[in-house]
Amino acid sequence: MTIDIDPRSARPRPFVVAWVLLLVLAGVSLLTAFLGLGRWAPVIQFGIAAIQVALVFILFMRLKGPPTLKWVFAASGFFWLLFLYGLSMTDYATRHGWPSPSVSIQSESPPR
Amino acid sequence: MSTTTVERAAAGEPSGAEPSYLTAENSVAGWLLTRDHKRIALLFFFSITFFFFVGGFAATMMRLNLATPEGLLQPAVYNRMFTMHGIIMVWFFLIPSIPTTFGNFFIPLMIGARDLAFPRVNLLSWYVFNLSGLVVLYSLIMGGADTGWTFYTPLSTTFANGYVFAAALAVFINGFSSIMTSLNFIVTIHRLRAPGMTWLRLPLFVWGIYSVSVVMLTATPVLAMDTFLLAVERFIGIGLFDPNHGGDPILWQHMFWFYSHPAVYIMILPAMGVVSEIIPAYARRPIFGYTGMIMALMAIAILSFFVWAHHMFVAGISVYSGVFFSLTTFFVAVPSAIKVFNWTVSLHKGSIVFDAPMLYALGFVLLFTVGGVTGLMLATLAVDVDVHGTYFVIAHFHYIMVGATVSAYFAALHYWWPKMTGRMYPEGWARFSAILTYVGFNLTFFPQFILGYLGMPRRSYTYPAEWQSWNVLSSAGASILAIAYALPLLYLGWSLFYGRKAPSNPWGATGLEWLTPSPPPEHNFPRTPTVVLGPYSYDPEHDTYVTQEGTTHGGIHG
Amino acid sequence: MVESMAESVADTSVPAPEVQYANLAHQGETAELGIWAFLINETIFFGALIFAYYFYRLTYPHEFAAAAKDTVLWCGTLNLVILVTSSLTIVLGINAAARDARRDMVRWLVITCALGFAFLCVKGFEYYLDFMSHSVPVVDYEVKPGEGSAGELFWVFYWVATGLHAFHLITGIGLVLYMLLWRIRRREITSAYYTPLEVVGIYWSFVDVVWLFLYPCIYLVGRS
Repeated sequence: MTIDIDPRSARPRPFVVAWVLLLVLAGVSLLTAFLGLGRWAPVIQFGIAAIQVALVFILFMRLKGPPTLKWVFAASGFFWLLFLYGLSMTDYATRHGWPSPSVSIQSESPPR
Repeated sequence: MSTTTVERAAAGEPSGAEPSYLTAENSVAGWLLTRDHKRIALLFFFSITFFFFVGGFAATMMRLNLATPEGLLQPAVYNRMFTMHGIIMVWFFLIPSIPTTFGNFFIPLMIGARDLAFPRVNLLSWYVFNLSGLVVLYSLIMGGADTGWTFYTPLSTTFANGYVFAAALAVFINGFSSIMTSLNFIVTIHRLRAPGMTWLRLPLFVWGIYSVSVVMLTATPVLAMDTFLLAVERFIGIGLFDPNHGGDPILWQHMFWFYSHPAVYIMILPAMGVVSEIIPAYARRPIFGYTGMIMALMAIAILSFFVWAHHMFVAGISVYSGVFFSLTTFFVAVPSAIKVFNWTVSLHKGSIVFDAPMLYALGFVLLFTVGGVTGLMLATLAVDVDVHGTYFVIAHFHYIMVGATVSAYFAALHYWWPKMTGRMYPEGWARFSAILTYVGFNLTFFPQFILGYLGMPRRSYTYPAEWQSWNVLSSAGASILAIAYALPLLYLGWSLFYGRKAPSNPWGATGLEWLTPSPPPEHNFPRTPTVVLGPYSYDPEHDTYVTQEGTTHGGIHG
Repeated sequence: MVESMAESVADTSVPAPEVQYANLAHQGETAELGIWAFLINETIFFGALIFAYYFYRLTYPHEFAAAAKDTVLWCGTLNLVILVTSSLTIVLGINAAARDARRDMVRWLVITCALGFAFLCVKGFEYYLDFMSHSVPVVDYEVKPGEGSAGELFWVFYWVATGLHAFHLITGIGLVLYMLLWRIRRREITSAYYTPLEVVGIYWSFVDVVWLFLYPCIYLVGRS
C-alpha cells in the first residue's frame, strides 16, 4: 500500500487515519499513567510520544518519501540532544548516590 | 579541464555599466532596509567594530588597574569591567565577527550565488543583533553585572548586585541573531551553489563557515534555554538552579558549557577558513591536504560537543566524568594539529609573498599553536586542578580567541578590503600593524602564562607586589596591542578616500569572488558562473594560477 | 516582454522567484529546508528544557509525583486533542491550496485558527485553576504533603514550559492569520506557489509535537 501525501493529489484519508491513530495512542498513554507501572511509566509514555511524533513528522509535516536533506535536518535536532543527555550522564550517573532515594534537602520544613 | 589564457584581470576593470553595490540606490532606507548580503555585511561590520572598541575599553581599564598592586578601580568596578569585557567580546564581537561580516559578504560570492537564501532573515538578524546590543549597553550604563561572563549560579541568581537580568536577556536575544545567520548559511551552502561547485570544490572558507553554522545552530538553543531559565530565576527569585529547592547549580554549568565550549570553536573555525584562503594565495601553491582540511574542520565541529565539562573539573563533577572529558579533549587536538601541519606544509616550496594578510595569517598559525598546546596542558586533569582559575587559563584562551581569531579577522579584512571597498590599503602601514599586533599580543599575554603558573588568580583586582613586574609587562603590551588594533581603523579609513583603485583580482587569487568587479555589483554575477575545478590552483614554479572557472592567468608577480 | 506582462496581468497569482533562485520550485524547496533547519534549533531548545526536567524528576521522583498531582489532567488531555486535530486541519488546508480549492483552504485555515484559540482558552482556564490550587511559585504557592522543597521546581518547569509553548502557539496563530488576511486575500497562495503556507503548516505541526512531549512530562506524573 502506498500512501500519497503529495498535496496536489493526496486524499484526506491517510491524514484522518493518522489523526485517529494519534488520538488512540494518546488514550493508551493516558491509561498507562493509572496502571502503577512505577519507573517504567515515563519510559512507556515517552515511547508512545515518540511514535506519535514520528506520525506527525512523516505525514503531517510531509517527511514521507525518499530520504532527503529534510530527513537529515529533522533527525539532527534529536541526534544533538543525545550529546547533551548522554554526556551529561557521564557526570550525573557516576556521582556518588545519584539518583538519591528521593530526599530533597528541606523535605521537612517548607521554604517559606 | 579546458583552460584558456585570458588577459582579463591584468588591468583594473572599469566598473562598467552596472553600478556597484555601494552606489546603487544610495539612500538611508536603501541601506537600512537592504536585502543585499554585501550591505548587510557592512552594517554588521559597523556594529561589531563599535562593540570591539567598547569591549576593548573595558580591557584597557582592567590592564590599567593591574599595572600596580594597589590598583586604580574600586574592586566592584573592576568586577563589572571584566564581566562586560567578557560578555561584549564573546557575544558581540568574537562570535559574530567573521561569519556576519566576511561570511555574509563572501559566501554567496564564493559559491557563485546572487544572494543568501533568505535575505530578509539576514537583515532581521542585524536588527536583532543591535537590539541585543542595546540591552547589553543598557545593562552596562545602569551599572553592569559582576558575575563574569559565565553567569555561574547561584552567584548570578542569588548573590549578584548588578543588572544580571538585562545582561542575560541580551545574551538570549543575541542568540537569535546567531541562529538566523547560521541557518541562512547552512541552507545557502546546501542549495545555492553554482553549477559545477561540488562540495569538494568549495573554498575552505566556505567549509569553515558551514561547520561553524552547524555548531551555532545546534549549540545556541541550549544557551538560549539556559539563559532563559536564569532570567526567570533572577526575575522571580526561584528557579531550576536554586539549591534552596534542591536545584543543581552544576546543571547551569553543564548547559552553559554545552554551548560555550562549542562557542570557542564558533570563534576559531571561521578563522581557520580565512587562513586556509590566505596561505595558498600568498604562498602561490595549492593548500596541502584539501580533503583532510575539510575532514578536520568537520571533526572539530562535532568533537566540540564532546568536551564541554573540561571547564568544570574542579566544579564538583564526578571524577569519572572528568577522566572522560579529559580524554575527549585530547582527541580535539588531533584535527587541530592536522590543520596546523597542513598550513605549514602548504608553505613548503611556495613562492611566499609577505604581504599584510599573510603576516596576519602566519601570526594566526603561531599563536594558535601556542594556544592549542597550552590547551592540552589544561586538558590534563592534574594540571588543570593546579592552574584552574588562574591567569594561565586566561592566557591560554586569549591566545586562541584574541591572538588567533582577531589576527585572522584582520587578515580577512586586509585580504578582502579591495573587493569590499574597491580601494587598495597602504601596504607598508598594514605590514607594520600586523607585526605590531604580533609583538603587542605576545608581550601582553605571555607574561600571563607565567603569572598563572605562579598562581595569580583570575578576576582579582589586586595581587602581591612581587608579581608587579610581570603585570607591568602585560599592561605595556596591552598598550601596544591597542595601538595595533586602532591603527587599521585610521589607514583603512584613509584608503577609502585616497587609496589606489583596486583591480578585480589584486592578489591573483582563484576564488569566484575575484571574478566580479571591485566592488561587486548589486547582484554579484551578471551571469551564473560555471565551476570546473577546485580552489587553490596556484603554480609557484611557473607563476600562474587557474581560477575556479578554469581560466589561466599569469601570477601576481608577472 | 509584452506577452509575459499580459500573462502576469491575467494571472497575478504566479510570483517571480527572488533573484538568487533559478525558479519557483527551487525557491520553494529551499524555504522548506529553511524551516526544517529552524526546527533543529527549536528541537534542541525544548529538548534542553526537558533535559533539565528529567534530571530533576530522576533526582526527586516522589516529590515530583506529589507536586504534579495538582495539574489539571482534563485540560491537558483536551488540549492534546485540540492540537492534534488542528495539525490535521492545517494539512487539509494545504492540500486544498495545492488543488486551488480556495474555499476549502480558507475554511480549514479558519478552523485551524479557531482550534488554536480554543487551546489558549483551555490553557487560560487551566492557569486559573492552577491559581486556585496555589500552584504558582513565588506568587501564591502552597507546599503540599510529600513534595518537600523540590516540588516547587516542578511548578517552575510547568510555567516555563507551558508559557514558552503558548508563545510558540500564539506565533503560529499569527502566522496563519497573516496567511489568511494578507497572502491569501491577495491571492498569493495558489497551486502554482503555496510554499509559504506549507512552511507555516510545518511550524504549526511542530508546536503540536512539542505538546506531545510535554503532555506526559506534566500531566501523567504521579497519577497512580
